[in-house]
Amino acid sequence: MKTFKVLEIKESVFEDNNRQADLLRDELKKRKTFLLNLMSSPGSGKTTTVLRTIEALKSDMTIGVMEADIDSDVDAHAVSETGTKVIQLHTGGMCHLDADMTKQGLLGLGTENIDFVILENVGNLVCPAEFDTGASKNAMILSVPEGDDKPLKYPLMFSMVDVLLINKIDVIDYFDFDLEAVKARAQKLNPNIKIIPISARTGEGIDEWADWIRTEVKNWKGQ
Amino acid sequence: MHELGVIIQVVKTIEDFAEKNEITKIDTLVLQIGELSSIIPKYVEACYPAAVDGTLLQDTKLKIELLPGNCRCYNCHKVFNLIQCNKQCPDCGSHDWELLSGREFLIKEIVAC
Repeated sequence: MKTFKVLEIKESVFEDNNRQADLLRDELKKRKTFLLNLMSSPGSGKTTTVLRTIEALKSDMTIGVMEADIDSDVDAHAVSETGTKVIQLHTGGMCHLDADMTKQGLLGLGTENIDFVILENVGNLVCPAEFDTGASKNAMILSVPEGDDKPLKYPLMFSMVDVLLINKIDVIDYFDFDLEAVKARAQKLNPNIKIIPISARTGEGIDEWADWIRTEVKNWKGQ
Repeated sequence: MHELGVIIQVVKTIEDFAEKNEITKIDTLVLQIGELSSIIPKYVEACYPAAVDGTLLQDTKLKIELLPGNCRCYNCHKVFNLIQCNKQCPDCGSHDWELLSGREFLIKEIVAC
């Protein structure tokens, strides 16, 4: 008769990722590189927002961008035209990035002398919220055409980000989008969330967003 | 669909564990999945054979235990299942609650031969 032995492991798969994320954060802190994890649905204007952000900050700091997508390199091309250091990460079907993939991306990008790295996560409001990438801060974009009910549908994402950018605010008059309702719904899930309405197309609100980043980068570097 | 990538991570963790504990054959792998986690048991079962192919776990059986998504009402302290009660306290009707369980994704144990 075979003998079986039960070995208890009790290891959380998410916790393993969280540990790796903490290690990565410590390393970034030592290297004085601020990593922002930017999340949103597809088509919310992430790349356009990244381009605006680069434009607003490039004279103040050295910026690097990691574009994560399931396929293609159109986003990386758009960013590289600004002269910013960029790397395209292909997740090969995976709908989120985890800490290990982020670390590999940072190695590929090279963070030496880079003050601020933007990680443009895969366009998805679900699983990126569950996997800590090791970022210093997390931000998300909700665009006006997506609707004001998104905090109700994707509560975890809204509850874990530091900043909510409400993009495409220039077209709000054409949609049934209740800005105050979104603010109230997001704040109920996350009382400390910072909400900035922006338009990546017209540049509205970008100053406030850039100021937030400047302050965070400074704090991260301990200046 | 991210179960495959996640399961490959599980396989790596088990292989490390097996090496450290000098285990050469594993009969069963037991996972615990919270019903509110983004890991869907049905998809885990579907992609498991592909994830373990050519690894130490190739012939290992998979067992999944589902953990309930329970929460406690802030108002009257009743503990209830979030999904069954449609996110509302069945006793006092409050929507304010704290989550107690349901988001887990754990490697519970392995049965080694």
